[in-house]
Amino acid sequence: MDWLVSTGLLISTLLLFKINKISDAVGIIAFQSVLLVMVAVIMWHRTGIAHLLVAAGLIFAVKTMFIPAILYYTLGKIDAKKMIKRSYSPHMSLLLATVLLVVGYYVSAELQLPSTFYGKYYLPTSIIVILLGTFIMIEHKEAIMQGLGLIVIENGIFLITQSVSYGMPIIVELGILFGLLVSAIVIAGLAFRIHWAFASLNTDKMQNLKG
Amino acid sequence: MIWVVIVFFIPLITGLVAVFTKNQRQCELCQVAGAGLTLVSAVVVAVEVMGGRPIELWQQIIYIDALGAFNIVLVALVGFIAAVYSVGYLRYDVTEQAISVKHVRFYYLFFHLFILTMLVVSAVNSLGLLWVGIELTTLISAALVAFYGKNNALEAAWKCLIMGSVGIAFALLGVIFIYLSGIQTLGQQSAALNWTSLRAVAGFLNPEWVKIGFIFVLIGFGTKAGLAPMHFWLPDAHSQAPSPVSAVLSGVLLNTALYGLFRVYAIANITLDGQAAEYLVFFGLLSIAFTVPFMVIQHDIKRMLAYSSVEHIGIIALSVGIGGMLGLYGAFLHMFNHSMTKSLLFFSAGTICQQYRSKQMHRISGILKVMPVTGGIFLLAAMAITGAPPFSIFVSEITIMMAGFQTQQVWISTLMVALIVLIFAGMMYYVIKMVFGEAPGKIEPVKFSHWSTTAMIIPLLLVILCGWYIPPVLDHTLYQVAGVLQGVGK
Repeated sequence: MDWLVSTGLLISTLLLFKINKISDAVGIIAFQSVLLVMVAVIMWHRTGIAHLLVAAGLIFAVKTMFIPAILYYTLGKIDAKKMIKRSYSPHMSLLLATVLLVVGYYVSAELQLPSTFYGKYYLPTSIIVILLGTFIMIEHKEAIMQGLGLIVIENGIFLITQSVSYGMPIIVELGILFGLLVSAIVIAGLAFRIHWAFASLNTDKMQNLKG
Repeated sequence: MIWVVIVFFIPLITGLVAVFTKNQRQCELCQVAGAGLTLVSAVVVAVEVMGGRPIELWQQIIYIDALGAFNIVLVALVGFIAAVYSVGYLRYDVTEQAISVKHVRFYYLFFHLFILTMLVVSAVNSLGLLWVGIELTTLISAALVAFYGKNNALEAAWKCLIMGSVGIAFALLGVIFIYLSGIQTLGQQSAALNWTSLRAVAGFLNPEWVKIGFIFVLIGFGTKAGLAPMHFWLPDAHSQAPSPVSAVLSGVLLNTALYGLFRVYAIANITLDGQAAEYLVFFGLLSIAFTVPFMVIQHDIKRMLAYSSVEHIGIIALSVGIGGMLGLYGAFLHMFNHSMTKSLLFFSAGTICQQYRSKQMHRISGILKVMPVTGGIFLLAAMAITGAPPFSIFVSEITIMMAGFQTQQVWISTLMVALIVLIFAGMMYYVIKMVFGEAPGKIEPVKFSHWSTTAMIIPLLLVILCGWYIPPVLDHTLYQVAGVLQGVGK
């Protein structure tokens, strides 16, 4: 099961480098969130820690439903068929992402950090997802794709919290998810205003402030 | 306990009442009164903490020690004077039709929510909740930076949001690593994320986890605090935000991010046997050094002030890294002095920019002739911020320099002073050109609201007073604040 979920997370992240429409990226992000819910349930099943189940419910509500809904709504307001603009071609992007995947796996193997028993399988996946999320932010030019890159990074971090540390104290989980929800609203709101002001989501047009 | 509840609820209620009050004057009076009450309740909480033991509430979710209380008072004080200044500043914008009354109401909502998030950061025990608070400061500050909705403001807000969010995402990773080391030592319990518990067992935590955790937190909260080389969002955001917001960003948001960093540092430096201090010294010096070239090439007055904040945050981090009682005392004295002086500078610069209708320094000259009071305050504050005697920052910089000498870190003190001198020269070159000389012919003096001038009185008095004499109440407070971090060195 661990193998299946990890593979799902890695392939879905790599897919973000191949797709051409922003709306597809939102769907992939929602799918990743479902996998995170599964990780929380798996860990609850193995450890019996009850708040992992609560966390699973909260992740499902916030990351699988609310955040994608907010992003779809924003895309609908802007232009749902918006095509993705990258710094590199899709093939080159995928190649660089694969290199990062190998680097991430190597780095996590070299870390040799003590980790909790059930979740150590997920540590390399988390680090790779965080690295790929960072690359998405650097490589994509659309404001909203940079925001999606940030959500991918957060997914990688959530994977660590749910697997390696068996969740976090429930009040902290609540706080973090609330923060993520507000962050999605602000990203969406700001992206909408950027589109309105610049007639584009392309961040290349936002190069006025320097020095 | 009741005052702790009040200190959180007043900003929330003030913001909500302000946004629903349609009459502009009533909205302004309500928000100034709210900011004043927040300050009063913050002072009461601080007096309680300084006079006895730290406040612990609700199963240790709330924990306010001297360091937390100090930051709470600083946030409330700068929040209050910025709230007063905002009245006059925004009235001018409304008169000029740059914004509508509806914008003003939403401004006050976000302004007070922003203050609330910084207060929360200073009052929680869990490093996870501290992270949540800092995340929320990023989101609300981005909304405030985008307030004017112009292209440059949106660009700055986007950079602030994205860089800040990525930074603190990495900080969360760091917090998780520290939590993992806490679980190893304390077992699977929520206390393993509490600062008090982690501090108590800091010597027994796993150094590998803690080291990686501290580095991530340093990068993450360092980005929020404006430590170089992660500071690039800061000049954009501070220059594009309304001036009272710039004052709050520079005066207390950066401190709040440093507060988060210092909390983790207090644990990590024990676990790592003093190694964490070296990182603070390195990034502190780097931040001061980074400021030098950017100060010289500036064209925008508010960007220049923003880079000055990078310098001073570097000085504070450096001083905590130097350590010892004198280093820590100097760091927090400098934090206080910087908050006051930078608020004063942003207020006076804001009024100057409104008078000259430009932030470009080459378009601003003869300030003393056009607006003698504001110009005089600006000159005085600029001299103070560059460390000239006899103002408050001179005293704290001398204290930090002495701390370096006292702990046998002579080269660090020497390098710091040399860089400060270069920054002084770079900044004063522009300030003198703007303050003196002839005013452009087309300038017609604008009558500014007395609210704008009144707001400058408190920081102005403190900038002058603390240059000559540190009041016993401040002195006592600073020793207690330094005491929280004392003993975490080698």
